[in-house]
Formats: sequence, C-alpha cells, structure tokens
Amino acid sequence: MSLLEINNVSKIYGELHALDKVSLKVEKGEWVAIMGPSGSGKSTLMNIIGCMDRPSEGEVLMDGIDIAKMNQKELTLIRRDKIGLVFQQFHLVNYLTAVENVMLSQYYHSIPDEKEALEALDRVGLAGRARHLPSQLSGGEQQRVCVARALINYPEIILADEPTGNLDEANEKIIMDLFHNLHNEGTTLIVVTHDPEVAQTAQRTLFLRDGKLVRETVNENFTGEIKYEDWTENK
Amino acid sequence: MQKKRKWFFRMAFASLLRRKSRMLIALLAIVVGATILSGLVTVYIDVPRQMGAEFRNYGANVIFTSKDGTALTIEEINDGLSNVNSSQIVGMTPYRYETVRINQTPVTAAGTDMSSVLKTSPYWSVDGEIPDKDGEILIGATVAQNYNLQVEKSISVTFTPEEVAEEAVAFDNGDEAAEGETSTSDVVLDNYIDFKITGILNTGGAEENYIYMSLEDLEELTQIPTTISLAEVSISASGSDLTAVVGSINQNSENVSAKVVKRVTASETTVLGKLQALILLVTIIVLALTMITVATTMTASVTERRREIGLKKALGALDGEIIKEFMGEQVLLGGFGGLIGTILGFLFAQLISVNVFSSSIVFRPVLLPLTIVISMAVTAVACLIPIRNATEIEPALVLKGE
Ligand SMILES: Nc1ncnc2c1ncn2[C@@H]1O[C@H](COP(=O)(O)OP(=O)(O)OP(=O)(O)O)[C@@H](O)[C@H]1O
Ligand SMILES: [Mg+2]
Repeated sequence: MSLLEINNVSKIYGELHALDKVSLKVEKGEWVAIMGPSGSGKSTLMNIIGCMDRPSEGEVLMDGIDIAKMNQKELTLIRRDKIGLVFQQFHLVNYLTAVENVMLSQYYHSIPDEKEALEALDRVGLAGRARHLPSQLSGGEQQRVCVARALINYPEIILADEPTGNLDEANEKIIMDLFHNLHNEGTTLIVVTHDPEVAQTAQRTLFLRDGKLVRETVNENFTGEIKYEDWTENK
Repeated sequence: MQKKRKWFFRMAFASLLRRKSRMLIALLAIVVGATILSGLVTVYIDVPRQMGAEFRNYGANVIFTSKDGTALTIEEINDGLSNVNSSQIVGMTPYRYETVRINQTPVTAAGTDMSSVLKTSPYWSVDGEIPDKDGEILIGATVAQNYNLQVEKSISVTFTPEEVAEEAVAFDNGDEAAEGETSTSDVVLDNYIDFKITGILNTGGAEENYIYMSLEDLEELTQIPTTISLAEVSISASGSDLTAVVGSINQNSENVSAKVVKRVTASETTVLGKLQALILLVTIIVLALTMITVATTMTASVTERRREIGLKKALGALDGEIIKEFMGEQVLLGGFGGLIGTILGFLFAQLISVNVFSSSIVFRPVLLPLTIVISMAVTAVACLIPIRNATEIEPALVLKGE
C-alpha cells in the first residue's frame, strides 16, 4: 500500500478546473518534486495533500484512509499527526522566538519540549539563534526554523511549497541539504518548485499543466548524497 | 499537561509583551473602563455617607445652650420647651460631653438619650445597633479605627476623677521613700466601666471622633451628677413661625439660649436617591462603551492576525484551541487592566470626593477582586464575536497569499 494515493482528484472553482482528474501515488520514503507553470494547480494539490482543503471530486488515500470527505476537524487531526509544512513565505509567529516557534508545533501535536526543540534547531544549524525573534533572523534562517518546525513531530510527509522561492543560492543549498538529510532518515518529501535544479535533486518529478498531470520523469542520477556541507561548520 | 499549561501562559505573555503597542491600546481601553467603573462604584457606595454629612442639619433645627455659658439641667430644658406647643416638638436630645480615656489616651465621651437621638440626627448611619440599655456603647468610626474596635467586642472606658489627678501629681513630685507608703488604702483609683460595643457610627463629620453612652452611664463613670452641655431640638415649624417660637423661648426661659440652625427639608433626601440612580446609569453606560471599545480593538487585532491564525490552524490548532489562546490572552489583559483600573479608580473617586464633598473616602478592598473579575468578564464577552470569526479563517487561503 502506498503512503499516498490520489485517484481522479479534481478541484473546481466555478468554471475553472484548478485540478483536473489528477491521479498519482507516492511511496513511503520517496522524494517527489512537482513542477509546472504558474496557475497550474501545484499549490491546490499541496493544500489537498496537506489536509487544508478538500477536493471537489475523487479520493485521497493516506495510509489507505480516504480523507477527501473528512470534515475540518478530522482533517486538522490528521494534519497535525502526519504532515509537516514548509511555505514559500516562511510564516513564523512574529512574537515567538525561533525555539518557541518550533515548540508551538509540538504544542498542537502533543507536548512542548524545549530541549527537543533546541535539538531540532541545532540540526538546521541555528542553535545559536534559538532566542531570536523572526524579525532578527535572515530569510534563510527563518526558512531553516520552518524546516525545524516541520520535522519536529516526525511527520510521515513533509510538504514544501516553493521552499527556496524567496532564498538566494547559498540558502537554497542549505535547505536542499536539510531535505537530503531528512530523505536519508526515511522521511517522505513532496516539494513544489519552479527551479529545475531543485527538482533534479528529487527522485522523481511530476509536471502539472492546467490542472492536469502531463509528464513524469525519474532522476537517474539520484544518489541521495549531501552535496554542500560547508554551511554546517558555522553552526 | 503541566507543560502544556506552562506553554499556554508563555505564549500569552509573549504575545502581550512582544506586541507592545497593540497590547497597550487594548489595555488602555480596559483601564479607562475599569477606572471609571471602580471610581463610580466607590462614589456610588460613598454618596449616602457623604450626603449624610451634607444633610446633617436635617432633623434638629434648634440648639439649646445655657445663657451663662455653663451648663443646663433637664429641668431648665423642659422649662424652655414649655414655651412650644407640645404637638410641634418632634424630638429633643440632650448631650453631655466629658473627656474619658481608652487605653490611657483621652477621648470625648458624649452622654445622651439614645432613644431620641435618631429623631434629631436622622442622618446617623450605624453599623450594628444604637445602644438601648446601660452598659452598651456606640463608637465613632474614627475612634473605632484608631483603637481597632469592632461591634460585639467589649471595651474598658476609664475616667480620672480630680482627686486622682492631683494624687498623681503629688506622687510624681514625691521622693522615692514616699513611694512604698502610698500604695494601699487611701489611694483613689481611676473609675472604669466595661462597655459592650453595639454599633459603629458613620456620619462623615466630627461625631465619628466621639463615643456615645447613656447619661446614666456617664454619670456613674464620672461620679459627677448629670449636667447638659447642649440639647438638639427638632421643632416642626419653619421660617417666621420658627423664629417666633425661638424668640419666645429665649424671652421666657431662665437659662436656655435657643438658636435656629439651618434645616434641609426631608424632600431633599430624595436627591440622594436620584444621584445614586444617575451614577448607576453612567456606570452601566461606561461598561457598555468599554465593551464596544474592547470589541473593536479585538476585531482589528483579529484582522491583523489573520495570517497568524491561519498558520496556527495549518500547524494543527483546533478551533477550540484558537479560541482558548485568544481568550486567555485577552482575559489576562482584562485582569491586569482591572488591577490598574482599581487603583486609578480609587484616586479618581478620591478626587471627586475631595472636590465635591470636601472629605476623603476609604478604600474598599472588595472593589479590587470585583473590578478585576468584571474587567475579565467584559473583555471575554467583548472578544467572543471577533474570536469566533477568527476560527472561520481557512489555513489554505491565508497561507497562499503574501
Ligand atoms: N480559492 C480559489 N478560488 C478561485 N480560484 C482559485 C482559488 N485558489 C486557486 N484558484 C485558481 O486555481 C488555479 C491554480 O492555482 P494554484 O494556486 O494551485 O496555482 P500554482 O500552480 O500554485 O501557481 P503558482 O506557481 O503561481 O503558485 C489558479 O488559476 C487560481 O487562480
Ligand atoms: Mg503556488
């Protein structure tokens, strides 16, 4: 059984088919990239997989359970148990420090634990910045806090919608390295991106156009190796 | 669970302290409301006492003193009253003043007729009862405070007769050898009576500095026959009629000097009730306004924090948790605002009292928890609708945009 199986999923806004009969499978531990032009339905698909939205038609099986017809509360419970989210616009709570932002995710999931949250920040190389507010962090550092927050509850799937869209090259590499680490630990990753280079680091790339799944490529050169490790020295 | 609760407060305090300017606006609204609320409630409670002082002349409208400046006897007073048509006499209260001691410090004691005192001083407000038998005593509020006296307690009142006072002087001047000999038989001791306190007197005036007992008790305590320092008389006449009656007393009686004192008509006491109703009305309006202000601030804050709410929902917050967080935060703020408001409100009431009634008021500790609880409740109610709306925010919509 696949971790995620989507069958004939459509999302219809009036006349517009943001998603049009999309079907796909993602296995446990896979690293999948999603590409496509603007407006092709990438975020719509991510929202449905992330239990933040429901499809108009079709079924979404997560661990074999159909979440397409679940109500808001049931979706929330699944989301906090199984999903870790990374957004393009970092989205941190501005009055909480880095470590507190990570703890917030623990709080909704189970119990806040400062020690564990600090360890997560250490993993993304931010141990020294744990007590800083988001406004005191650079964009790249903020996104690393988001990654720490997404991984803190050991989610089954990490969904990242344009995680490097607002970052420079150096920070992009750092985030991709973190994803490599997560992948090597067995975390399932689904990453939306415009950047072919980012997509190439994944095992498989899905292409969307006008809400339809139009193409799929497998990355033959995929090694799962970390390419840029120098950033970890200054943590 | 412990950790979750700790986190809950940590987040609430972070939100309040790190979003200072927003928090201060909401706090200001609450503080202004709480200040006016606690201030007005204080004035509301205190008005009857204050007005009692204003209306002090309601009741007695004539004062009898002696023509020669010494003292009166009951007979002389009755002789004076014989010039008045008996149906016009509402009441007469004699007063005898003596200096006595409580715990060795001097206090003015008034001997009086307790049964008639309310006819001539209806503005007296007594916590407890007015004494109705010998051995019972009424204590002025200031005295009660100074000696920490309460109703139902007993109190020993002493009086130093003149011989004793002289003895004491002699004793002080005597040499040490004389000391051993003066101890026993011929020493006259202080007189004393143990009284039971039946009531504490509040008038807002000088009466609060006195203690009141029956004329008989005061006579027994001093061992000096009763004389009357002055008598308050209430005669149901006014204007020229009253002047005529007083004139005939002064002319016909031997030792009574009668004077008219200004009397406020009974109907004016209804002003008191109306004033209280007005204050109550203003208080309710202020509460409503506070609620609207807090609700507006809260609505603005929710709009501003849509992204944060969407994010929290995306991270897995249930609607109930969002409500709990916002409520907790605002109710904390409400409690804090209530605390500041109580203090400012007391100063505000004090200002009103000093300026309008020229007397100060006592702080009522019960107002503190009361104002805090009301502030919390008002904030909670005011936040209800904006917070409900907050839970309708969709995580996906908020996170999509900038
Ligand atoms: N709530 C909505 N109501 C109506 N139309 C919507 C809504 N959300 C998305 N759409 C439409 O659905 C289509 C797909 O949107 P989506 O956000 O998934 O695109 P995207 O692939 O993520 O684009 P981008 O790369 O620009 O982020 C767009 O045409 C968009 O206008
Ligand atoms: Mg998008």
